[in-house]
Amino acid sequence: MEPLISVNCPSIECTSLSPSAPIWQDILAQAVTGEELAAMNYVSLSEICDDPAEVADALQHAEGERGHAAAFAAEGRKIGVEAANNVDAKHWKRLREAFLRCIAERDFIGCLIVQEIMLESLAVASYARVGKVAPGSLGETFARIAAEEEDHVDHAMSILRAERARDAQRFDDKVYRLHLDVMTTLAQMLAKECKDGHCEVCHGDCVKPSLFEVSLSAAELRGASLQQYLKTLDTLGIPGEVTLAWITQLPV
Amino acid sequence: MRGRTTDVDFALIGHQESWRAAADVIAVLRGPERTPVPDDEIKDILPWIPPRAVCHVDIESILGTKSGRVMSGVAKARGVYIDSFIPPDRLEAAYVHENIARVRRAAACAIKAGAKIVSLGGFSSILIEGNFDQLPERHATVFTTGNTLTVGFIVQGVKKMCALEGRKLERSTLLIVGATGDVGSGCARCLAPLMRRVLLSARNSERLRRLAAELQADGVRVEIATDLRRFSAEADVVICAASLASPSLLLGRIAPDALVCDAGYPKNLSPSAEMPGATVFFGGLGKITGGMSFEPDFHGILNRHPFPDVVHGCLLEGMALALEGRFEPFSQGRGFIIPERVEEIETIAARHGIYLAPLYNADGPVEDGVPCQPEWREAAILGRHAALISVAR
Repeated sequence: MEPLISVNCPSIECTSLSPSAPIWQDILAQAVTGEELAAMNYVSLSEICDDPAEVADALQHAEGERGHAAAFAAEGRKIGVEAANNVDAKHWKRLREAFLRCIAERDFIGCLIVQEIMLESLAVASYARVGKVAPGSLGETFARIAAEEEDHVDHAMSILRAERARDAQRFDDKVYRLHLDVMTTLAQMLAKECKDGHCEVCHGDCVKPSLFEVSLSAAELRGASLQQYLKTLDTLGIPGEVTLAWITQLPV
Repeated sequence: MRGRTTDVDFALIGHQESWRAAADVIAVLRGPERTPVPDDEIKDILPWIPPRAVCHVDIESILGTKSGRVMSGVAKARGVYIDSFIPPDRLEAAYVHENIARVRRAAACAIKAGAKIVSLGGFSSILIEGNFDQLPERHATVFTTGNTLTVGFIVQGVKKMCALEGRKLERSTLLIVGATGDVGSGCARCLAPLMRRVLLSARNSERLRRLAAELQADGVRVEIATDLRRFSAEADVVICAASLASPSLLLGRIAPDALVCDAGYPKNLSPSAEMPGATVFFGGLGKITGGMSFEPDFHGILNRHPFPDVVHGCLLEGMALALEGRFEPFSQGRGFIIPERVEEIETIAARHGIYLAPLYNADGPVEDGVPCQPEWREAAILGRHAALISVAR
């Protein structure tokens, strides 16, 4: 799909970003897809919550994630591109399926681990990196949403820490089981090169080789995401030597 | 890892000396059933790994095994190795703040693990020896740079090598590169009174002058220079204890048949350093004879030496103190290492079976009749060959 040029786009911003607009388009498409998927996950989560407060909380989160997706899409329009959502793209679809398996088991804690620990680590770290290099309101939006996602994680952490305090070994085993499923997919998404074909989100060729043009790199986004994930697991209290082995065993 | 890293006796904080070593650590963690991570991916991933425990280290004193009961101290100690994951190519001054932050985080891991004593290995001790106030709040954990035992093993190694070569210390001129560092100045205090003359080199001329004045007060003939080429005499015994890797280090005026002790971590001299006729050996290494095991098994990976159970003196200092049950910050700050303290830590170490390691260099053992682990010899030859090819290119 070629970038769509909006007639309403402010001319100065379009001019300043136009050479790199196709790159931002793909970055935004990944972000929009991730946020839409998160919204779907929270709606699904609300369906297994018994406590009305938890239901409301999950639906509020879903609304928040939709707001993020809309904000990213709006940033795309400002630079004259359409940031398409494709939650059926192969990696994202697998991530959704992993989450739905937790839903099917009515595993509230498993859902939080997948969404808040694994997927949000990717979001927080990669948005923060993009926020540092993206120009103008685009950068501000990424930075703002990175901060908001971090708040989500803080909220979930207290629930997860309490759960771990009940039975650390059982909790760690569950995280590991989900890690093997979800983080393997995320590692494939974050690999420096998409070795197993097109991701189905980029609008043309894979964006990764072009990221240097906007002062980013696939290696940096992967490194920052894995670091964020490790730090989150540290905060949960899972021993560092255990999580080190987990991440070194991921595909590259 | 079977156990969890809580309530250990000691912690060792280190980092890998080369990308090859880092790749080997990752390979062990990844397991033999998985494809090794390509070198370029290791370089991309490792800098992002926050400091953390890598393995448990269990050590035994010879006290328990000799008598069947504990005579003093403890017979066994359990520790943890924490890697700061300082990238091997980021050891220079430009990364000092980033590296101090990594050592701080590694120190926090040691405190969280409940370590009673922490040894700061390699570059970690260099970073902290002048910055102890930058360590996190310590609670019941004490930190030692481990430099006193490192000095002990360097001095023992120099004496042993001189004896093997039939050199008399009192007729030799000693050059210390990195003389004002904690290790360099400690070596100077221990060896200078035994030498005919001492040449001290470092980057800071004021510190050099202070150290020279201290030694001269004891009647030592001392010459100082920030430029190694400016010394008036040739050195026939050299200790390289500089804080930075200097693969192109030019030792300047050294005797053609000089004995050169490379005590740096990373090594100060590259395997291809042009010193035909000189005998190079690595210094500051000890051997724990009571036994040492890693979980997972990092034998030969974290201690990459031609002989089993060889460890850097700085790390052995913490182990010796743990076995002794003396949880105290034995080595702190810079420039406080004196012969009496060296003798004290050597005595503690020896009581638990920690002695000077057999001497070796990049080609293998330098002592006759000391067998080398076959896989190390093969790797060393391949590594040296690769280094020479790379230089040739």
